[in-house]
Amino acid sequence: MKVTRFLAGAGGLALMGVGVSLLMDVRDLTGVLVWLGGAVVLHDALIAPLVLLVGLLLVRGGVRAGLRGPVRGALVVAGALTVVALPVLLRPGPRANSSVLPLDYPRNWLIALVTVAMVTVLAMAVRRFARGRRPPS
Amino acid sequence: MFRNGLLPSGMESMKLRVSPPVFKGRLHDARTATSIGRWLGAAFAVCFLTGLISHFMQHPPDWLANHIPSRPAWGYRVSQGLHVASGIAAIPLLLAKLWTVYPRLFEWPPVRSVRHALERLSVAVLVAGAGFELATGLLNTAQWYPWPFSFVPVHYAVAWLVVGALFLHIAVKAPEIRTHWSRRSPGTLALPSQDGPERRSLLTAVGAAVGAVTLTTVGQSFTPLKDLVLLAPRHPDHGPQALPVNRTAAAAGVGRIADEEYRLVVAGPRPYTLTLEELRALPQHEVDLPIACVEGWSKSAHWTGVRVVDLLERADAPAQARVRVVSLQLRGGYRVSEMGHEHARDPLTLLALRLNGEELAPDHGYPARLIAPNRPGVLQTKWVGRLEVLA
Repeated sequence: MKVTRFLAGAGGLALMGVGVSLLMDVRDLTGVLVWLGGAVVLHDALIAPLVLLVGLLLVRGGVRAGLRGPVRGALVVAGALTVVALPVLLRPGPRANSSVLPLDYPRNWLIALVTVAMVTVLAMAVRRFARGRRPPS
Repeated sequence: MFRNGLLPSGMESMKLRVSPPVFKGRLHDARTATSIGRWLGAAFAVCFLTGLISHFMQHPPDWLANHIPSRPAWGYRVSQGLHVASGIAAIPLLLAKLWTVYPRLFEWPPVRSVRHALERLSVAVLVAGAGFELATGLLNTAQWYPWPFSFVPVHYAVAWLVVGALFLHIAVKAPEIRTHWSRRSPGTLALPSQDGPERRSLLTAVGAAVGAVTLTTVGQSFTPLKDLVLLAPRHPDHGPQALPVNRTAAAAGVGRIADEEYRLVVAGPRPYTLTLEELRALPQHEVDLPIACVEGWSKSAHWTGVRVVDLLERADAPAQARVRVVSLQLRGGYRVSEMGHEHARDPLTLLALRLNGEELAPDHGYPARLIAPNRPGVLQTKWVGRLEVLA
């Protein structure tokens, strides 16, 4: 086990070396480093605190403990859909042709969010119904 | 006013005291990190391997250039579809994983030893690289390039960095991963038992998020789900002749090529030239092959045209010869593509003249384009004017 672990670590360092040597051939290395660092800063200083803040509001904001799971689930799914939709929603400039970004993305994004809300409400209703029917033990 | 001890008396008040934030929330634990990490690791593995396949198909080293297999015909379509789908699936997984381990960022003291410093540095590289790859990849699918560098070589280089850092991370964390691998692992059992249902609820939510982003995008390549495409940058039915395109005839500077001016030159041991009429008079074959774009979308279509192998044999091309396909386009990259002997000799490889029963639209390469099995879309050269047999 120890040997496997050591080999995995050493192999990892070697692969990182391949990555670094490939990056050395890149022309605008400073730009790459800015974007690499930017990814960390964007997450650690903006996205993560925002998510934690939403979580805090959820707990402090009076959402009943029993509902927290489904509400959190809805927010996680809606958040993921929004992140994935950001490029198609916000891309500026002309398209290469009409088959690039051909859909009405703001409308589709809203459809996705409304679907998430409806599925969540439905799941909560089903759960409550199932609980109500269960004979007291 | 200062009863709460915000300003203690004496010398203490003169010191600037920085203390790390305290996280009271649950589930920032090793079991949650391991559960999500297992899926994230799998997604990254698929993404890396399919990325390598795509890279070597588009930029083959010399020893490989003549040995790229032409089968399975759907190979590149599946592999590149998986590349983009696994990358999109990794987005909620990465965010959930980082949320779980976020308190570790504020470990105190920040550095305990050289080993600890190196470990944190490797995690920083992993986080930076993983975020970078997913962000640039997603933006690339929408043809949005807000960075100063060239996408392909950088996305490729950072992929190696990320996979290396991931191996290192797994090696460093191996004992913790092992003791939290399953619900019944010793480390998991040592965690507060009331967290169990909470954790399952969170993991279900993350799983649902992966499912949601996949269902709303994967139809761009997995066409049975095309009606669920809400957020993908392409829809399989949108484009000339219900097939998406990347470079239009206008963008390539060819416009509509006049029939009587078109010539196909086949350069080989016995070179010859064909007019469009002569090309149409040759035996025509029909194939069903996909256009599979490196940006992740793909769609199968019905093509009719002349087998490339027939054209090569008429030129007395050697069986092992590679072939260069040259476009009449005046502008843009990928004017020239090359293929190994397997692709050149595959009976499915056509110089296509018709698409789904109609003449090719100018944007699909009128009057003649290459269509070959298991080949990236950018190499399916349009407006073909010349085939060159390479020694």
